Amino acid sequence: MNRTESKARDDGGALLEVRGLTVTFGTPRGDVDVVRDLSFTVDRRQTLGIVGESGSGKSMTSLAVMGLLPKGATASGSIRLDGVEILGKSDAALRKLRGNSMAMVFQDPLSSLNPYYTVGLQITEAYRAHHNVSRKAARAVAIEALDRVRIKDPHLRIDHYPHQFSGGMRQRIMIAIALCCEPDLVIADEPTTALDVTVQAQILELMADLQAETGTGMIFITHDLAVVSQVAQDVVVMNGGVQVEAGSTEQIFSAPQHDYTRALLAAIPRLDDDLEELKMVGDFRTGATR
Amino acid sequence: MSAGEPLLEARNLVKEFTTNTGGVLSGKKRAFRAVDDVSFAVGRARTVAVVGESGSGKSTTARMVARLMPADGGSVLLDGEDVTHGTGAALKHFRSQVQVVFQDPFSSLNPRHTVDRIITAPLDYQGMGVPGGKRQLVKGLMERVGLNPDHSGRYPSQFSGGQAQRIGIARALAVKPKLLICDEAVSALDVSVQAQVINLFKSLQAEDGYSIIFIAHDLAVVRQIAHDVVVMNRGAVVESGTRDEIFDNPTQPYTRSLLAAIPTINPEWEARRRVNEQRERAALT
Ligand SMILES: Nc1ncnc2c1ncn2[C@@H]1O[C@H](COP(=O)(O)OP(=O)(O)O)[C@@H](O)[C@H]1O
Ligand SMILES: Nc1ncnc2c1ncn2[C@@H]1O[C@H](COP(=O)(O)OP(=O)(O)O)[C@@H](O)[C@H]1O
Ligand SMILES: [Mg+2]
Ligand SMILES: [Mg+2]
Repeated sequence: MNRTESKARDDGGALLEVRGLTVTFGTPRGDVDVVRDLSFTVDRRQTLGIVGESGSGKSMTSLAVMGLLPKGATASGSIRLDGVEILGKSDAALRKLRGNSMAMVFQDPLSSLNPYYTVGLQITEAYRAHHNVSRKAARAVAIEALDRVRIKDPHLRIDHYPHQFSGGMRQRIMIAIALCCEPDLVIADEPTTALDVTVQAQILELMADLQAETGTGMIFITHDLAVVSQVAQDVVVMNGGVQVEAGSTEQIFSAPQHDYTRALLAAIPRLDDDLEELKMVGDFRTGATR
Repeated sequence: MSAGEPLLEARNLVKEFTTNTGGVLSGKKRAFRAVDDVSFAVGRARTVAVVGESGSGKSTTARMVARLMPADGGSVLLDGEDVTHGTGAALKHFRSQVQVVFQDPFSSLNPRHTVDRIITAPLDYQGMGVPGGKRQLVKGLMERVGLNPDHSGRYPSQFSGGQAQRIGIARALAVKPKLLICDEAVSALDVSVQAQVINLFKSLQAEDGYSIIFIAHDLAVVRQIAHDVVVMNRGAVVESGTRDEIFDNPTQPYTRSLLAAIPTINPEWEARRRVNEQRERAALT
């Protein structure tokens, strides 16, 4: 796969511009906003980190951008990909964008991969969904995709099934699928959360290398502040569906402005701090339990 | 480890599973050692962490120690007494001394039972009388773990993950055990909740003096709670020692690689943040 010109016009405008995004679930007890009035931009070659605790609306944000919200959820606001409004586009139009212009990597590679098909077939299908090429040509693309995510002996491994790979290898395969059509935007939702730390370190390095090679813009979603501090140039901190604080990674981590961000940072156990009691986000004995 | 006889000793524990090699259909079976000659001791009122990557045999070891799974070799001693094979009254007595807290609070709590009933279930199994009555005990335990005692009639689904884990802890503490085995008990929790639950384990341990086997894959968490650390890899103990020995002077390359892989925040940013916050605090006073 020789990287050709970016599909997006690199005219200096933001790759992704999200303005006032609100995601609402209709429930029997009325509408609930799980994401409210969220705005951010992602530039080419840049990684935006979205960090927050569980339930803060990170996944709903990424699904809204991908046009993959579950039934019962509606999005409002504006989502512009390369200047073009994509919120409200038809399913067919979104399907065309997904994979080709934007792709997603999820937390759990095992449930995203089909256990009954070889990984080669799964990569070629992703590729052929957007490219009118022969099986043979697509197979060559798949071998190269596996090679690119540093899987050894790709010409042999291509005919293996998901269970024949370790968890870290499977996540490499998911990344290969996400990247095979050379999307402009990749959204990675907790891509390393299910992995051991040593494997996580390898996957993070791989993702950084590939981004440097391809110039993809990325949204990296995680609950892990240390991970986000390593991968992102800019960070959005979310809590309860709203943006608490946003800024450059250095700003957020060296001079957090909001009490919630400060409390989160204080609660992370570190390898070098003195071992007094961990600071707590709200004192549980006073009833602020979660 | 601490002076005197340890509360618990695991000696040369072995567990073998048979696996199908070459795919499900080939029918070829092979014995595989998930736990291979594992030994460690747990001192009184101490916390021993068992760490290692997924599949290293931590949970299997814990299950054997907790008598939830028979060992294929080795023995478990509690208070110097061999408890590896006891049944009937002996096993019941063992269960009154050793309690387990699991990773997923919801799947380990019966969704159709109220908190009241969940917390008192081990007492009923033990046939233990409760001075002052069960109601009082439940309320007391709920207060100790930081839950609202007025919620004792609620069902697990009405609680958050962190609260559900507190219910599991209250249940484990109801029989006043000497040993708590926590298998990834804080792994699924958000950092803020994780910090609360770790502090809870520590303060209750200071009050009650129980020992803890704390199984976790997150070494930064382990450092907050453990007195001693056992590092496992591929079913075997790689090295063990006090917390400071393992974290400050790991002797094995495997331990070093685990420590090196932990993601950290740029120390410069951390230092600046602390200075900023100190300055703000000073300006306030
Ligand atoms: N089908 C649904 N109906 C109603 N609320 C939902 C549904 N799915 C998710 N939610 C709620 O949306 C909120 C945000 O969820 P999510 O984006 O998955 O959080 P995160 O990824 O940050 O953990 C949560 O409070 C969750 O309970
Ligand atoms: N009931 C079982 N049958 C077969 N293999 C098992 C069983 N339980 C665990 N194993 C295997 O034993 C090894 C150790 O597992 P486990 O003790 O769960 O590791 P850990 O808790 O460190 O992740 C793994 O390879 C796992 O797949
Ligand atoms: Mg999520
Ligand atoms: Mg386990």
